[in-house]
Amino acid sequence: MDRLFLLMATLLAAIGWIWGMICVHRGTRSHWTVAWMVAALLCQVGFLAVRGQLRGACPLQDLGEMLVFLAWSLTLFYLLIGPAYRISLLGVFSAPLVFVLQSTALIPGMLITSPSRELTPNVFHSFHSATSVLAYGALALAGVAGIMFLVLDRQLKKHHLKSGLFRNLPPAHELLISLERLLWLGTALLTLGIIAGFLMPHSTPMHSHLLVAMAVWVGYAALLAVKTWRGLTGRKLALAAVAMFICSLVVFARI
Amino acid sequence: MELLCLGLNHRTAPVEVRERFAVSTPQLGAAASDLATLANATEGVVISTCNRTEFYLAAADAQQALVLLEARLTLRESLDAGASSHFYRKVKSEAAAHLCRVVSGLDSMMLGETEIFGQVKQAYQAALAAGTTGSVLNRLFQRAFGVGKKVRTETSIQEGSTSVGNVAVDLAEKIFGHLKDSEVMILGAGEMSRITAQSLVSRGARSIFVSNRSFDRAETLAREMGGEAVRFDDWQRALERVDVVISSTGSPHALVHRADVEKVRRARKFRPLFFIDIAVPRDINPDVAEIEEVYLYDIDALEQLASEGRSRRQLQIEHCERIINAELAKLNLPGT
Repeated sequence: MDRLFLLMATLLAAIGWIWGMICVHRGTRSHWTVAWMVAALLCQVGFLAVRGQLRGACPLQDLGEMLVFLAWSLTLFYLLIGPAYRISLLGVFSAPLVFVLQSTALIPGMLITSPSRELTPNVFHSFHSATSVLAYGALALAGVAGIMFLVLDRQLKKHHLKSGLFRNLPPAHELLISLERLLWLGTALLTLGIIAGFLMPHSTPMHSHLLVAMAVWVGYAALLAVKTWRGLTGRKLALAAVAMFICSLVVFARI
Repeated sequence: MELLCLGLNHRTAPVEVRERFAVSTPQLGAAASDLATLANATEGVVISTCNRTEFYLAAADAQQALVLLEARLTLRESLDAGASSHFYRKVKSEAAAHLCRVVSGLDSMMLGETEIFGQVKQAYQAALAAGTTGSVLNRLFQRAFGVGKKVRTETSIQEGSTSVGNVAVDLAEKIFGHLKDSEVMILGAGEMSRITAQSLVSRGARSIFVSNRSFDRAETLAREMGGEAVRFDDWQRALERVDVVISSTGSPHALVHRADVEKVRRARKFRPLFFIDIAVPRDINPDVAEIEEVYLYDIDALEQLASEGRSRRQLQIEHCERIINAELAKLNLPGT
């Protein structure tokens, strides 16, 4: 049942992506992307609910679950921010990332087929995992907004203004504002996750992933500090948001 | 009842003739009432914009009504006999198709412009309020609005910018979003920069700084636009706070160099800066565009974009005409 939900969520994200791309190619607005992504979110919730029941705890125990939780978080933040701030095409740019994350989770071996039930789930452990993955959702969406800015910036610089993509992309300033807000949100959630990480029981004095989380936190905090006090060009901020998200994801995947 | 239209526009009459027939918006109802008193006419609507004045009538005999109307107008405005060459005359289905073309912006000086839709609506409402419309003109105008909407939604006749000023404003909005927080600086108090700055202000730009070699001219333009004059030696300091710079001085060499912008980057906290260079020779050195947060467009780049916009609209005309003809064929309007 959990895999069926995940498969449906992945297909819906793919439909949202392809439909959005067709609309962009035609030079029209993709009004249906939000609907596809809402449907994908419901399927993700279904998957997480089934896995949560099986685990008897927050379903963040294997890599597959983490990837789906991350995709859910990304979709949730997109649905909260995209339509509310009228950031057109955010869904079209988010859908492929959701699709990739969930497709990776579907690879055999990523999801434990018969997950063991946790007998004594620790509240700090669950809170740490959930807030950390939520933070990554916000930071992933910041990366998506960063890519959108880089595309728009290049088109504006090179005077390539004829495409449907250019017409439908939101203004550069609004993309940068959303990007910065998402970075603040992601960093705040990551702070909570790290605090909870210190409070949860450890077998060793310091988990390596907690050290990496702190390094990631320092990186994002430094980026926001530079942006706030010194200022940063839109291109550098966007590149940093994209690069830092990819780097931290790769590091976490390796440990 | 037969439908007819008598009119003159920017293509058929020079401004000195058009202005004699212009009717101010508050007078549209009275003008329509006057029109409906014409022998054998029962309904009338007068449309008047800066580029056209048109009289729509429903009369028992269209040809006779046309002659009477033309004679009345010529007499009223004391025009010579040759003045009739400025008028175009449309009857029955031709008049209906013409109104649809007008409402859709196909007959406008700026092809596809949207303002005309509201202007025709205003003229119709004035006539409706004056009680000079009946079954023929009510149906004609309501259907024409429907056709106009269909043309605008199903084609790209109104998409893209067609003038240098509009292209610049659209680009500014693509960079800054709402312009209400944007500040604009004009370098050189020329006509083009004034028009472009006015477009930015009309879309909400917060404040305008005007810098010109002659400070008096800068002050005059600043006063006219509700802005602030800046001494020409001080424009670099103003660069720290503005978001858009429109430059059109008569300088024989570039005024703004990369070093000028580099100097203020930190103070600006690396915010985006949009340069619109409409001067020839160019005021802004092209290497300014190499700065990351700078977007530079010169007159050629803007004109090319405007020309592409115009070409795109031209390509849509046939499609629009097809929609109008198909819709009119379906409607079977009275008087046509």
